[in-house]
Amino acid sequence: MFLRLIADNFTRRPRRKLLTAAALSLGMAVATAALSVSLDVGDRLAKEFRSLGANLVVTPEADSLPLEIGGVDYRPVNAGAYLPESDLPKIKSVFWHNNIIAFAPILEVHPAAWLFAAKDGQYQSGDWIRDVSVIGTWSDHPVPLKDGNEFRTGIAKTNPWWQVEGRWFSDDGKECVVGAEFAAKNHLKVGDEVSLATGRVTKFPSPLKVTGIVSSGGPEDEAILVPLTQAQSLAHASGQYRKLYVSALTKPEDDFARRDPKSMNPDDLERWSCSPYVSSIAYSIKQVLPGSDVRVIRRVADGEGKILTRVRVLLWLVTLASLLAAALAVGASSAASVLERRGEIGLMKALGAGSSTVGWLLAAEQLLLALVGGCIGYGVGLLLARFLGTKIFGVPPAPSLLVLGIVLVLAAGVTLLGSALPLRRAANYDPAPILRGE
Amino acid sequence: MDDRRTVNRSMFWRVIRRMIFANRGRLFVILLALGAGSAVTAALLNLQADAKRRLTSEFRSFGANILITPAAANSQPDRALLLNESVVPLIMNGSMPAEAHGSAMIYGLAAVRLKSTDSLKNGSSETTAVIAGHGEGDDPGSFKTVEKALQSELSRDPWGRMAGCIVGSTLASQMKVHVLEVLQLRNGERKVDCAVGEIRSFGTSEDNEISTSQRTTQTLLMVPGAISLVRLRISGPPAQVYETIMALQKKLDENQDALRRFSDRDKAFFAQYGNVSLETMDTVERRLSVAQVSPIRQFTEGEARLYEKISGVLTATVVVVLVLTALCVMAAMTNIAAERKNDIGLMKAIGGSVRRVLRIFLAEAALLGLAAGLIGAAAGILLSIGLGKAVFGVAAQPRLVVYPISVTLTVIVAILAAYPLRRLVRIRPTSVFRGEE
Repeated sequence: MFLRLIADNFTRRPRRKLLTAAALSLGMAVATAALSVSLDVGDRLAKEFRSLGANLVVTPEADSLPLEIGGVDYRPVNAGAYLPESDLPKIKSVFWHNNIIAFAPILEVHPAAWLFAAKDGQYQSGDWIRDVSVIGTWSDHPVPLKDGNEFRTGIAKTNPWWQVEGRWFSDDGKECVVGAEFAAKNHLKVGDEVSLATGRVTKFPSPLKVTGIVSSGGPEDEAILVPLTQAQSLAHASGQYRKLYVSALTKPEDDFARRDPKSMNPDDLERWSCSPYVSSIAYSIKQVLPGSDVRVIRRVADGEGKILTRVRVLLWLVTLASLLAAALAVGASSAASVLERRGEIGLMKALGAGSSTVGWLLAAEQLLLALVGGCIGYGVGLLLARFLGTKIFGVPPAPSLLVLGIVLVLAAGVTLLGSALPLRRAANYDPAPILRGE
Repeated sequence: MDDRRTVNRSMFWRVIRRMIFANRGRLFVILLALGAGSAVTAALLNLQADAKRRLTSEFRSFGANILITPAAANSQPDRALLLNESVVPLIMNGSMPAEAHGSAMIYGLAAVRLKSTDSLKNGSSETTAVIAGHGEGDDPGSFKTVEKALQSELSRDPWGRMAGCIVGSTLASQMKVHVLEVLQLRNGERKVDCAVGEIRSFGTSEDNEISTSQRTTQTLLMVPGAISLVRLRISGPPAQVYETIMALQKKLDENQDALRRFSDRDKAFFAQYGNVSLETMDTVERRLSVAQVSPIRQFTEGEARLYEKISGVLTATVVVVLVLTALCVMAAMTNIAAERKNDIGLMKAIGGSVRRVLRIFLAEAALLGLAAGLIGAAAGILLSIGLGKAVFGVAAQPRLVVYPISVTLTVIVAILAAYPLRRLVRIRPTSVFRGEE
């Protein structure tokens, strides 16, 4: 009988129920869309922050002091220590390997350069240019992984703001990319060739072909970028590099993150190393690269953490505000649907139904409505969140069952709360005046 | 005729008043739904405008995004081109399209030795290191992370008369220097002592530097009145940053003659405080160069991208939330309005024309929307002030234009929600009175 009453109620006045359900669905769609975006935005933005470049830098522990002014190192050539290139694949084996999205080794040399500029099909050349800064790095280098796959990384990924006119050199070719200012000063174009040599030059080393002009807005504009292997042979340091830039996805640091791992007890250390703080990622990289010193680029990491936290809090507040609005509107809607049923309630009571029976009946009805409305709203909200995610980040947020749970609980809670007040009043109705139409 | 109209009008309002206050429960529910919508609209609109502006100032924590350097670089550190110190007031004074903070820097190489009171350690060897001189006069409250801390640290003078300095972590560990020890900096015959105020890790080339005050460095390097570069932070949307760069470059170009030499008065002053001869000042003057303003692309471009994404997320979320909230409120209101069947039936039975009945209901809806909007929007603006404080630590500025916008939107939503009543107007009064559904 109970179920039949409910079923009857839904079929008898479909339009009214539809409206209540629509209000519910829309409200829950707001909740779903806002929740999905807020849950997802942290990870997405962390990735976007990588457009600011690397947040970790690895140098040899026993390095001599760099004398760098305005990006130019005034150290004598060959002073300082190196790190072995063969250790680099280990970086992708650390606990946080999924968070490490790019890295690029750097080896700087200052050889002399001989430029061949093509002019009307003929090669013209000038004199040796002394002390050119040459940066050896990877452009898009395959790193073999343990599981047999390979991970492609290089300077183009760690420093995404560098613009290359033409294309990057290939890592195993005799090619190079020239800084914009250096190219302008020496009238170099894509397709020209450059010979690089150190020490006393007895014969021309085989030239490198210029495949692109890079503009970085930094000291690289005055330099020549070559594949790491080329720089290694110039510096007589085969298989070695000097500096490594690592770009990692991190969690904003809090007070706990800034503690020194050496002074932690085992529990804290585990918790610390299981959170992707920039300092714990630095720590785990240091463990796999012996003889290295891993430092956090504070300027990038701190600013990033701060802004990320702010944006997250902001979106959570927007979400909360929208949840509140949705809840109030839905509550109002279900309150209205109880208010209008005075006649019905009076009739039921006149026929001998107790207050609790009437209450249960209406509550069951509202819950059923909440379930249906919540599910529809979840679907609509998810579509909206997908649309937003794809539009802004190019990647839709992952549908989360957690959101569905929250939305359904919210829907049930709001409808019950919204109908509770009028229900209490309904329970006190005296059936006689209602039936008389007063 | 006029009489009838006034009677009509007073009757119209009386009907509306009765309708609004007849059922307190219903009135409360309507005001709740509409008010909630209005409050969220006002809060989000207000917050959104404010948050975007705040965000660009949050980017300040990345430090400088613009460098002002000598136009042509020279690879010899002791003959490098320099900028006239008076470039700083020129940049900072006068109007600029965006808010700017900055600091002037002078760089050079010096031999560094740990000066210890312990006689055994007194013969410790010298290391060559980069000395960075930070400008003191130019807006110490500017950079939140590196520069501000540096400024406050530098002005703290542990021994009253000695210059303070900050030593980068790499340099410190290599020289085994600790806080409160004294370093001797030497450039040729010139020596300056400085007390180590702090050892800090920056993760950038500052780790290998000794930072001290601009005046100390200029005296040590014998280049009084000259600086190597100016670091600037321009806050504002990306377009404004580029606009500012253009404006600055123009201003510096216009004044390039003045910037390439020292006035006689300046020369005498610099020679005195820097303890150098006037001939040395002439060589410094020859090294002065035209200034070039360039963006630090890592930050200008990265920030532009981030700004676009973050404001995209914010705008999209706000728009979606507002549209859905409006629809949700509308559905709730329609639901409430649908129970007015009896009223309409009665009005039609006693001779109300369709237009008249509709007008009464629309007026009622508009009035309710107005009341709920006025209350809700005020609550929303208060809410956004609180939210702004919670997120950015600064209360969001209430924008008055938001208030009428959200009130208008609420009224529109209320009227639209009452619109389905049109359908009810077509019902026949008799069927209502017979209790037919």
